[in-house]
Amino acid sequence: MKCTACQMENIDGALFCEECGAKLEAVTFGKDAADEMSNEIATLMLTSSDGSMLEIPAKDEVVIGREDPISDVFPDLDLTELGGMDKGVSRKHAVIHRSGPNYTVEDMGSTNGTYINKKKLRPHTPQTIKPGDELRFGKLALMLQAA
Amino acid sequence: MKNGLNVRCILSKDTVLATDTEQAVYALVDIKAGSGTASGSMPANFSLVLDRSGSMDGEKMENLKEAVGYVVDHLSDNDLVSVTIFDDQVETLIPSQLAQNRHEIKAKLANVIARGGTQVSDGLKAGLAEVRKGLAKDRVNRILLLTDGQTWDDEDACLKLSEEAGKQGIAITSIGIGDEWNEKLLLQLAEQSRGNSHWIQNPISILDVFQQEVEGMQAVAAMNLRVTARMSRGVKPYKVYVTAPMIVDVSSKAVNNSTVMTELGSLDGKKGQSLLIEARIPAQKTGQFRIGQVEVTYDIPSQGITGRTVKTDLFVALTKDAAAATKVNAEVMNLVEKVSAFKLQTRALTEAAAGNIAAATQKLQSAATVLLNLGEEDLAEAAEREILSLKRTGALTSAGTKKLEYGTRKLTQVMTQAIK
Repeated sequence: MKCTACQMENIDGALFCEECGAKLEAVTFGKDAADEMSNEIATLMLTSSDGSMLEIPAKDEVVIGREDPISDVFPDLDLTELGGMDKGVSRKHAVIHRSGPNYTVEDMGSTNGTYINKKKLRPHTPQTIKPGDELRFGKLALMLQAA
Repeated sequence: MKNGLNVRCILSKDTVLATDTEQAVYALVDIKAGSGTASGSMPANFSLVLDRSGSMDGEKMENLKEAVGYVVDHLSDNDLVSVTIFDDQVETLIPSQLAQNRHEIKAKLANVIARGGTQVSDGLKAGLAEVRKGLAKDRVNRILLLTDGQTWDDEDACLKLSEEAGKQGIAITSIGIGDEWNEKLLLQLAEQSRGNSHWIQNPISILDVFQQEVEGMQAVAAMNLRVTARMSRGVKPYKVYVTAPMIVDVSSKAVNNSTVMTELGSLDGKKGQSLLIEARIPAQKTGQFRIGQVEVTYDIPSQGITGRTVKTDLFVALTKDAAAATKVNAEVMNLVEKVSAFKLQTRALTEAAAGNIAAATQKLQSAATVLLNLGEEDLAEAAEREILSLKRTGALTSAGTKKLEYGTRKLTQVMTQAIK
């Protein structure tokens, strides 16, 4: 398999060029039940730099934000414990949608924005997310992982 | 499995094209504490080995004392602690003891003043002796080594000590402050002993790193973690990378013909561990092909679990349907890309060290492109700056080298840049 960027010949099946690191072939992302050989069923979770883990509830819509009983805001995933207040997480910051095996995240017009792998999302425009992505709500960065 | 670990083995592709040549496949072995596994039930055996050389004077020493105070306050009464300080002489300030006389430990530390040169191996040797006093299978045995200077002609002695430490299950976490120390040495000390390594630019962050270290020890969920992969006939394991707490290429030690075997030390129950195996499978006809079997073995001393094993078979489907063979697992792809950035950076630094400026520049350029694709703009810029430095002076900068060495190794960690 020849790298189109640097013309280096790579072994078949290689994902990235050994010489220049370029992606070698067009791929599609997929994940179904047969994709994993696991001894436990996988769900998604968010991990913070201090190792705290938050499991994403098995719902079709999961609101992420900061709990505020005074304004009657109770998000499904409350980021207060992870320093959400200081790190600029809005009360209703973003929502994760689930559709079968696929997930998207949508910024709900938050003050400090939502980022996937350091790219800022346009408000109210869902973007696909996958395990290994870094999600950032304001300044709070979390890694999306399969549990 | 109750109270055990959760092991997942995932291939880059479940379905690949059946061809008449050999091809590459990537397998991710991901290990996490199971839901019933209690973290933090293992007491620590912790040895602090601290540089007190003249250059540590001022802000560094003040922050260091505060950080050691934090450690002492946050260890349990059941944990063992010792403090060794070194310049060109060594002093065992606190011999190994239960972390109970907190005031006394802090008072002794308060009297330490910075002086003298830097001789890491003597400090490490004395610290290792302290940790050995309390060495036990049901303790998390660890050394934290902190320095801000180039050690004086004793690198080999240091490496010998870290190798011995690794064999005894004692992990060394090495920490360098500022820009005037040898990152290759500190990284090797950590890699050989299955520990971690940190670069601290600002002394204020000493506390953050010490805090992380204490929390990491308290989160240990399993010990003596070992991964063995036995490949089917004709399958050749090619490269093996450990990905936590940083990316380490363990291929030369781990791969032996058709078997991969690597010791991973203790498992941080909060962060987990994973291994990336790149293998070559032989030409195959269509149908299911068994690549091999992955076996994960571990102990959980607090639960009386010794040598528990989880086995997973790896199968790939071979097809003539080109469209079906384009489907890639996103998690594995992401990891392979991060490892690719790490490899390019490593090769760039090797070329630069050998004086091959053109080759180093080219590799740095490629690394910058991959880092940008990964959204790591900060690291990509660092690579660009080093390209300029190569053009102007024919050499890399010390700070830039450290940034790339540590940054690309820790691409698998969330926001370690918090430590600056």
